Amino acid sequence: MQLLLFNAFNGLIQGVFYALMALGLALILSLNSVINMAHGGFLVIGAYLAYTLSPYLGFWGALIVGPLLAGVIGLAVERGLIRPIYKRSDPLYSLLLTFGLALIIEDLTRTIWGAQGLPLEVPDVINSPVSETYFFITGYRLFVIGITAAAAIGLYLLLRYTLLGIRIRAGTSDLETTAALGVNIYKLRALNFGFGCLFAGLAGVLAAGVLGLTPPMGNSLIMPSFVAIIIGGVGSLFGAVLGGLLIGLAAGIVTTYYPAASEAVIYLMMLIVLAVRPRGLLGEEGLFE
Amino acid sequence: MSAATAHEAAATAAPMAAPQAAAAWPFLQMVNVSRRFGSLKAVDDVSFDMAAGELRAVIGPNGAGKTTFFNLISGLLPPSQGRVIFDGEDITRRSIAHRVAKGIVRTFQITEILPDLSVFENIRVGVETARGINARPWIGRGERIAVNRRIEELIAIVNLTDKARRIVGELAHGDQRVVEVAVALSVGPRLLLLDEPTAGMGDSETEHMVDLVRRLHSDQGVSVLFIEHDMDIVFGIAQRITVLDRGRVLADGPPEQISADPQVRAAYLGEAE
Amino acid sequence: MTRAATIAAMWIALIALPWWLPLIGGYTALGSKVLIYAIATMGLNLVLGFTGGLSFGQAAYFGLGGYGAGMTLKYLVPSTPLAILIGTLVGGLAATILGPLVMRRRGIYFAMITIAIGQLFYFVIVRWNEVTGGEDGLAGFGRQDIHLGNVVIPLTDVNFYYLVLLCFTVAVAVMWTLLQSPLGHTWVAIRENRRRLQFLGVRPERYVWASFAIAGFITAFAGTLNALLFNFTSPQDLHWILSGDFVIMIVLGGMRSFFGPLIGVIIFVVAQDYLSSLTDNWMTFIGLIFVLIVLLFPRGVFGIFDRRAKIA
Repeated sequence: MQLLLFNAFNGLIQGVFYALMALGLALILSLNSVINMAHGGFLVIGAYLAYTLSPYLGFWGALIVGPLLAGVIGLAVERGLIRPIYKRSDPLYSLLLTFGLALIIEDLTRTIWGAQGLPLEVPDVINSPVSETYFFITGYRLFVIGITAAAAIGLYLLLRYTLLGIRIRAGTSDLETTAALGVNIYKLRALNFGFGCLFAGLAGVLAAGVLGLTPPMGNSLIMPSFVAIIIGGVGSLFGAVLGGLLIGLAAGIVTTYYPAASEAVIYLMMLIVLAVRPRGLLGEEGLFE
Repeated sequence: MSAATAHEAAATAAPMAAPQAAAAWPFLQMVNVSRRFGSLKAVDDVSFDMAAGELRAVIGPNGAGKTTFFNLISGLLPPSQGRVIFDGEDITRRSIAHRVAKGIVRTFQITEILPDLSVFENIRVGVETARGINARPWIGRGERIAVNRRIEELIAIVNLTDKARRIVGELAHGDQRVVEVAVALSVGPRLLLLDEPTAGMGDSETEHMVDLVRRLHSDQGVSVLFIEHDMDIVFGIAQRITVLDRGRVLADGPPEQISADPQVRAAYLGEAE
Repeated sequence: MTRAATIAAMWIALIALPWWLPLIGGYTALGSKVLIYAIATMGLNLVLGFTGGLSFGQAAYFGLGGYGAGMTLKYLVPSTPLAILIGTLVGGLAATILGPLVMRRRGIYFAMITIAIGQLFYFVIVRWNEVTGGEDGLAGFGRQDIHLGNVVIPLTDVNFYYLVLLCFTVAVAVMWTLLQSPLGHTWVAIRENRRRLQFLGVRPERYVWASFAIAGFITAFAGTLNALLFNFTSPQDLHWILSGDFVIMIVLGGMRSFFGPLIGVIIFVVAQDYLSSLTDNWMTFIGLIFVLIVLLFPRGVFGIFDRRAKIA
């Protein structure tokens, strides 16, 4: 029982990272119509920059600045590389471009910071176990859950109540009309892409505190994030979060009984969802096809 | 244009109209059909009959529900209420594929073609579909010759022989629309639905299309239902006209009756000034 | 040069490859690898370039073919032809079974789902260590000499190259026939305008399924040869990175052209071989190749000559 709880909680934490990644991916997918294969790269950028800056800024400073820098770099990448190819209606090209970026970022990370894993020091205040019996529930892990919840709620409020958010939602449902209404959709898409990358960076810093840093960490988190979006339903941000948590939890539970299947199970879940409910748990009808 | 010239057009059209086919039962019938989008009733309780062999126009101001009306017949949309009957069969819930197999074929307001392929290749897809061989992973010589002969035949009917090898996406707009009609024709339609066949065309292109539609009707024996904004064409070739306004049938009858109908003149023809 | 002459010249160059390739610093196995990847990418291009389905997980079927062949040799029967047959069936049937889940999707969703499905097989292979060798890959098998009646053909590097060339020729003939057939015409029509086809009474999904399944068989076929070439296969052969490499090879050569993928494969495989001997950061350069092709060269080598290959 203790083992099951241990694995389930670990899975949930993993699911939180998937959810954060998926949230950013889904934002970019819906407004920019780009499958950002480099999303894992932005996660790595956020994490490693936080690692490098934490001796100067402390953990808290790095937690803020790392994701922000990932967002700014994302903004620059969008303006320099992705904007020129929006006009090509075939999504193949943005997929290949971000794919290339993913390779470059992983390789350069390895060159700059080395292939071996690095630890991100987390302040003792939040790193001690909350209870003796449930030693795996550390303060940091609760903190991760809290920050993620805050970020998701923050995003929800932003999309719901700010002018920028309303414009992003409008652009998602009908880009041409939004442009015709005088909204600068180039700026909007750039900002949105930056936001997405900021979420990836945040996932990176938080994950680094639990898992440590390795160059391929981003590219190994990106596939489950796809699955999170497919299960949750394309077009639904809440679905992406739900999907991420679900697959994390499922993987954790399966680890207890049949560890070898802990990765495969999330893809099996996806196949089942696709077969039974093609649009995903919370997806809009028709959007998926 | 004014109602007066419309009337003249109708008068000159009368002698040209093909003789009415003697159909015992309605070929296409819509019974109290409605289609709602949210609170908007795009098509509102429409009943409609069309006989086999007819050349019928559907007219109406923008937003009258003409294209929705076509979508309901062709199966792009299911009706919210009512029934669609074609050739004695209730097709209200049948698939697009089933309707095409029964002979209902349509074109679109915005030309739907295979832009990177040649005229020949565009029509080939239709011919192979019509012959029921389009799932075959190989093709024998005899079959290929038969297919090619049929394609050439269709290209000749629509007068595109000199452009057969041209890429459709690079043709003039008018020719692209003719290609779309030829592709529709290739699957052997019994009822051809043309959504604004002359939209965006120049004078000579329009003339070519009007002539084509008339020949399809008289020579190929295809029943034609078309949406059109140009009243010269409508009153020039249609044997019967259905007027839609705000989703409802405002009037229905031969051209002379429509152009004389005070309601139509008030609601529609007057507006076209 | 006419088309026929070009193709004849190409085949003569391929037949003579074991003589000329070493002269310019290559080796026969590199020639085999190019042809194997050419089979895989030309197969994938049936979906990608001709049917318009963004299949981004094709390496899964390539790898399954490889594991199918390797495991046949290692555990079942020491026969090269049977290894090829069984491997092809394993990968091809996997694609056929999963086809219905992807056939209705379009554009980016088609891509996402095919990538994610590919990862399922990746993890099955990685975690099923006792049988597949896990992360370390499957070794301990070797291609067997071919027995034709009383004649025994030893599969040396050069003879194996000719086996691959024979397989390439067969695959090319099959794919060419398919693309000239009504089925092939329907695929291209789906790529061009799905709606037009629907309103001709065709249900596009079934044809997308056929395309995906056939591409799966052909890629798996190439995968079996790949395992036999190295007498080894690893999870990298199913990884999404390889799927991406396949796609960029196709784009590099020209995705609207039948032989485009072959050209892309030659350039990419040779560049990869060369870069990895030159620098540890070859992955960065491969990534740069991706970015540069997309930005500057989206129509590929063949696209330069073909007006019709526009980037819609």
